[in-house]
Amino acid sequence: METLNNLFLIIADAIRSLFADPHSVWANLTMDVINFIIVVVIVVLAALILILLERKIAGWTSQRPGPNRLGPRGWFQTIADALKLMGKEDVTPAGADKFIFKIAPMIIFCLPMMTLAVIPYGRKMAPINLDLGIFYFVAISSISTLAFVMAGWGSNNKYSLLGGMRAVAQMVSYEIPLLFSMLGVVMITQSFNLGVIVEAQASVPFIILQPLAFVIFIIAGLAELNRAPFDLVEADQEVVAGPFTEYTGLRWGLFFLGEYGNMTALSALAATVFLGGWQGPAILPGYVWFFMKVGVIIFFMMWVRWTFPRIRIDHLMHLAWKVLLPLSILNILLTGLGIYIYRFVMGG
Amino acid sequence: MENNELLKRQVEELASRVNGEVEESFGVLVLTVKAPYITETLTAAKQFAEVPCDFLHDLCGLDRVEHFEVVYQLSSLRGPQKLRVKALLNRENPVVDSVTRIWQGANYLEREAYDMFGIIFKGHPNLKRIYMWDDFEGYPLRKDYVTEPIEVRNIVRQRIEGE
Amino acid sequence: MSIKETEELILNMGPQHPSMHGLFRMVVHLEGETITKIEPKLGYLHRGMEKLAESRTYAQFIPYTDRLDYLASPHNNWAYVQTVEKLMGVEIPERAEYLRVIFGELARIASHQVMIASTALDMAGWSAWSYAFRDRERICDMYEMTAGSRLTVNIMRIGGMSAEPPEEFWPALKSFLDDTPEMLEEYYGIFFGNEIALGRLKNVGILSKEMAENLSITGPVLRASGVDYDVRKAEPYSIYDRFDFKVPVRTGCDSYDRTIIRMDEIVESIKIIKQAVRDIPEGPVMAKVPKVIKPPAGEVYHRVENPKGELGFYIVSDGTTKPSRVRIRPATFINLQMLPIVALGWKIQDVVAIFATLDAVLGEVDK
Repeated sequence: METLNNLFLIIADAIRSLFADPHSVWANLTMDVINFIIVVVIVVLAALILILLERKIAGWTSQRPGPNRLGPRGWFQTIADALKLMGKEDVTPAGADKFIFKIAPMIIFCLPMMTLAVIPYGRKMAPINLDLGIFYFVAISSISTLAFVMAGWGSNNKYSLLGGMRAVAQMVSYEIPLLFSMLGVVMITQSFNLGVIVEAQASVPFIILQPLAFVIFIIAGLAELNRAPFDLVEADQEVVAGPFTEYTGLRWGLFFLGEYGNMTALSALAATVFLGGWQGPAILPGYVWFFMKVGVIIFFMMWVRWTFPRIRIDHLMHLAWKVLLPLSILNILLTGLGIYIYRFVMGG
Repeated sequence: MENNELLKRQVEELASRVNGEVEESFGVLVLTVKAPYITETLTAAKQFAEVPCDFLHDLCGLDRVEHFEVVYQLSSLRGPQKLRVKALLNRENPVVDSVTRIWQGANYLEREAYDMFGIIFKGHPNLKRIYMWDDFEGYPLRKDYVTEPIEVRNIVRQRIEGE
Repeated sequence: MSIKETEELILNMGPQHPSMHGLFRMVVHLEGETITKIEPKLGYLHRGMEKLAESRTYAQFIPYTDRLDYLASPHNNWAYVQTVEKLMGVEIPERAEYLRVIFGELARIASHQVMIASTALDMAGWSAWSYAFRDRERICDMYEMTAGSRLTVNIMRIGGMSAEPPEEFWPALKSFLDDTPEMLEEYYGIFFGNEIALGRLKNVGILSKEMAENLSITGPVLRASGVDYDVRKAEPYSIYDRFDFKVPVRTGCDSYDRTIIRMDEIVESIKIIKQAVRDIPEGPVMAKVPKVIKPPAGEVYHRVENPKGELGFYIVSDGTTKPSRVRIRPATFINLQMLPIVALGWKIQDVVAIFATLDAVLGEVDK
């Protein structure tokens, strides 16, 4: 069991031992490249699986079979879709700001790779062990706002522009409760490092200590990801497809991959901060626990998406500023009070 | 039945005021007036004592070959009274007052009648074609409208003239 | 620093837009997300029904009426054939009258289910959409058993019905009627009980009673504004005076009541069908009408309560085999006039919802 748990660490050590000095610059560089490739593979694989999973769940909630023609039970559907997307013509609309239009999907696609790099997938299995992990994660993921605005502005389309504007209003507002909800955890662990936060949850995951924060995190996270019921940015009944309206083929596919990559990243963060990350009974290796927890959160998000109607924009703003923000500040207050009482009792 | 008597009396009284004719067809009173009287007639019909005809069901144009008619189907949401008012329009110069001031709901209906018959509704806030495109020529529901497109019409004409 | 006035954004929604039912186009003037002006542009589905009628015989025009409000095609048949029957003075057999009521009310249920589904879909309630469509399939199956087609059924003839329903029709109808309360529960559960849906429907798009009457609004939209008016009660056509049913009226005047009233109407329709199935006599379904239909010269206006409002036919006959003029009074065409008035000041998302609650079918709007 212990071998299985440390499988990836053992492999890493083996690769390092190929070098004369296991901690030389070259060994570190090689490991970084390997880590990078692994993260890219995680993003692409996650997107491929999640797209199919989403369609299956959509079918399940609305009482229809979902994709079931291609391969065993339709499992090859996404691959066929990806091939189809690659074969499509790459159209740039006349009057578009070409540079911005072309670079926006790339930015979106890069973000989940950057954020997934700091997540600890198992014991000592963070590709990059950053001391400011949470801070870095939130900072990087807020760049996606910029990408949406770039896509919306660059497309020279009114629907895209409206979608881009909505993206700014929505994502800037929801970043605040998202960050504030995690501050309670940071106050308890006294660290921004995700590895330390997971280690601190060995006995009890923070969802027990911070239930309110977890709820706020999931709601704000859904809004950050533009997932239903907060998918105003790409609301097809109102703004057709928002910033993605004018995109075709692989560029549109990159947006899609980016969306599912971001979803994986945020679910990974939620699993790490609130559900105890790779911690779990020793019957399974840590990384399996981790991916199972991520899977549960992703399933929940998809379930919500296919059953909830879309919220209205003024209700959206109302929820962010008048409900979630005060609640998250209240949560910080209560956490501080709790820590004070705990210290008083234990120390006294 | 009492209602009908009441309505009939008032309609007849109104008809004498606006030089109209009253007849009955399939249980409905039909009041036919000349176009200039239409605002007065409909305003009065809307305010009939006890049996007001205050709900405009339909407004449509009608081509009678020698003249046009605009037909108003009136009734009330609070009683069985029914009234059909017809305005007679001159074919060369089909102009009638708009009733949008009396019933806002006449807006689209009058636009449709304009679109299909070329009847001009004076005082309409936005008298534009509603179904056909803006530079469409002719009025499709007039009896003298030829359905074929102009090219086909010309070919047909040439053939007839050639023979 | 001075505050700059922002420019108005003019957005062309439709005719190719995901939430425009059919080929509807509206030019929306926006101030941020708020509507300042709406101009509906019609005619993208205009087929010239009234003109077509003038070059066809009376019987030939029946299939065209299917294409008006294609979600409730038996109703359009019904309105048209009754108008011609009234003109000719034809009495139709009892059994045909009952069958017409059954099919008409089934069409009402199907149409309202589509309305509920599309209202949910326009607010991104994807699952609610497929629930309502799943149930509507059963009605389409029943159409198919009797008429052979599922949407544009062309089921009525001048003088009666085109066919007697087959044996398997009656058990299917019975099981459908029995399942309906459960279906309505499901719609409430999956969509109308949702807090977000309530937030988007309640107190949105207020159409006052006076405004509704002035705009000649009919049907469920009028009744949701608190006017108790239904052609089936006000001027009972066919055999509606024999049935015991209520006309649902709501006084909310908002999008929510305009939607929920359709659920109430489904309940009443179920009652009517149950009574009709109980009382239906045996006999022929077609009266003896001449092969060549030649009504006497004259004119008649007849109206029925279509699921969307009052559907009227005004037929002018000149005594030949073809009508001189067939005027169709489309319910949603007139109901649509409320959209630019009611939606002012609401957000662009609300316009989509208000338009959905109008239940406009472009086949009928554009004729």
